[in-house]
Amino acid sequence: MSDKYGLKDWQELPLGGVIPEGGNAADYETGTWRTWRPVWLKDGCIHCLTCWVFCPEGAYVLKDGKTPKGKDRKEIREINYYHCKGCGLCAKECPVNKKGKTEAIQFIREEI
Amino acid sequence: MSKFSAITGNGAIAEAMRQISPDVVAAFPITPSTQIIEDFAKFAADGKVDTELITVESEHSAMSACLGASVAGGRVMTATSANGLALMWEMLYVASGMRQPILVAVVNRALSAPINIHCDHNDSMGARDAGWIQIYAENNQEAYDNMLMAPVITEHADVRLPLMVCLDGFIISHSIETMQLEDDSKVKDFVGEHTAYHALLDTDNPSTWGSLDLHDYYIEHKKGQQVAMENVIPVVEEVSERFYQEFGRKYELFESYCLDDAERVVIAINSVAGELKEVIDEVRDAGEKVGLLKIRLFRPFPYAEIAAALKNCKIVTVLDRSTSMGAYGPLFVEICSALYDADPRPMLYSRTFGLGGRELLLNDIRDLFEESKRYLDEGKIEKRSYFLNVRGG
Amino acid sequence: MSKYFEVRWHGRGGQGTVTGAKSLAEAVQGTGKCVSAFPDYGPERRGAPVRAFNRFSDNRIRIHTPILAPNVVMIVDTTLIGTKSLVEGVGESTIFVVNTEKSAAETKSLLGLTTQTVHTVPANHISYRLFKREIPNSAMMGAFARACPEIISLDALIEESEKIFSHLLAAELVGKNVEAIRCGYNEVQTL
Ligand code: SF4
Ligand code: SF4
Repeated sequence: MSDKYGLKDWQELPLGGVIPEGGNAADYETGTWRTWRPVWLKDGCIHCLTCWVFCPEGAYVLKDGKTPKGKDRKEIREINYYHCKGCGLCAKECPVNKKGKTEAIQFIREEI
Repeated sequence: MSKFSAITGNGAIAEAMRQISPDVVAAFPITPSTQIIEDFAKFAADGKVDTELITVESEHSAMSACLGASVAGGRVMTATSANGLALMWEMLYVASGMRQPILVAVVNRALSAPINIHCDHNDSMGARDAGWIQIYAENNQEAYDNMLMAPVITEHADVRLPLMVCLDGFIISHSIETMQLEDDSKVKDFVGEHTAYHALLDTDNPSTWGSLDLHDYYIEHKKGQQVAMENVIPVVEEVSERFYQEFGRKYELFESYCLDDAERVVIAINSVAGELKEVIDEVRDAGEKVGLLKIRLFRPFPYAEIAAALKNCKIVTVLDRSTSMGAYGPLFVEICSALYDADPRPMLYSRTFGLGGRELLLNDIRDLFEESKRYLDEGKIEKRSYFLNVRGG
Repeated sequence: MSKYFEVRWHGRGGQGTVTGAKSLAEAVQGTGKCVSAFPDYGPERRGAPVRAFNRFSDNRIRIHTPILAPNVVMIVDTTLIGTKSLVEGVGESTIFVVNTEKSAAETKSLLGLTTQTVHTVPANHISYRLFKREIPNSAMMGAFARACPEIISLDALIEESEKIFSHLLAAELVGKNVEAIRCGYNEVQTL
């Protein structure tokens, strides 16, 4: 049995608070926390993956790509807004943004 | 073949640990439990156990390492006393909350200050609310037997809770007594294989341990723990019965000594029960109906069973070997709770004794029985509670 | 024999008095009696007076209290003579076993005893002869067997001690300890 909010009774819980499955962070929607939004700008991006490393929610999605010289590499494909919580770390750490001439990640107020 | 040996209480615990051969022992030795880990470290060094022995830098780390190893999927044990148990405190609650069947041999010793290495029960009694099963032992035989039963109790599917096997520091831990050690293979069969529950090292089936509960789930998890504790009572009865079938020594939730027709009953924990039995035999020979109820399982506390066992008695003396400063001793409080609904309710009073190893001699116990006789004859309790054998009264 | 046969050892920290009580318990255990052995724990300082206790019985020993009225007093160190605790609780028939080279008569008067039996044994001397060191326990145990054959006979003591020592010591030392037990037994003087 579960209550009107879908919460389980004590008998249904695994013991000791164990979560008996892996990878279920994917089910957790942190996108609802967002009040500021990073917008990835494909044209400015040099695919250094710094944003992907720093993102605490794993919101950056990668794809296979090639360097200008034709070597295999991973590239940014998009931001998954189901998980992006708008913390702004990516925009802060992006080396293109840091140089200041142009932007690879824009960080803007969520529109109402 | 089981054999009679002359061995110390600590030695007996170490023997039990050798026979069980747990996956991991993490320990930081402290008097008077030191010999347990010394002996066990020798077994490990000599290849007599398959155990991973982790020597850590504090008891907090010892319990943390035990917890990690248990969650990883191992059968895990340690031993400690007094201040060592106190330093484990934080992790005791984590272990029970995470439902890890960790075993600790607690060699009871007084807590500082003043520094004192001798026996009382303030260490384990202080941990009585930590969600651990607590089983107490009168002598080295019982301590050993309880160790053998402990993994079977803790790992039972209805239980899965950590457990303390408690024995008196020095009085039992350092005394050689004749006792019966069981055959290694029989012990192995009795204890059985460890079954892990969502082991972290089972990487094919990943799990997360130690996550957060807010007001949405915390109390449901605590309810589960409470029910598991209540389940301990039938499980202890069942495992004790199996132990009796296998090894021939009978244990119950508590021991009843000359209790059936007793009018005056003393209730006590651990080694003092031996002295009490000795004096009870004398007093019985003189025709007095006296008896002993010796606590074995203190957590969970078998309220109903104890109330039933005391239904014929007229006066109860509770001996606490620990204090709850500013309150009655922990055992007395439980006995009062157990007897609240009793009709008629026996007269009840409390005596605290033995703190920091202060002896209680046979004559002191004779005096106790004199006192209970007087109280019963006069129909009133003169002093509800006081410390025995204290200079200045 | 009353319910428990009680032995009280007096020695000094570092002399192995506690080990003596334990070894005796193990040996008597081997003969099928119930035993206990326990020390009187204080601060464990080398040279400080220490006590250790044994109880022997045909039945299970239930009590753990210090021994107040011993059947036997074992004095491992004669320089303790004069300390009150040696004769505490001593009755008319208490047996004394004393490690000394003095005569039984002299020892008895030094201890201020009257009706009690005193057995002396030059355990240190025996130990020097065999081990070139002062480890009087085995000779004391031999003397105990002489004083209390109802608890353990010399043969049983030797047989059990061999078993116990062979787990702990090299064969040569096992032999020497057995020799020390025998000498202790043989060199007792009784009054
Ligand atoms: S804003 Fe924060 S959560 Fe969103 S993509 Fe950037 S780093 Fe990740
Ligand atoms: S940090 Fe900036 S440049 Fe680097 S991959 Fe991310 S968006 Fe592109």
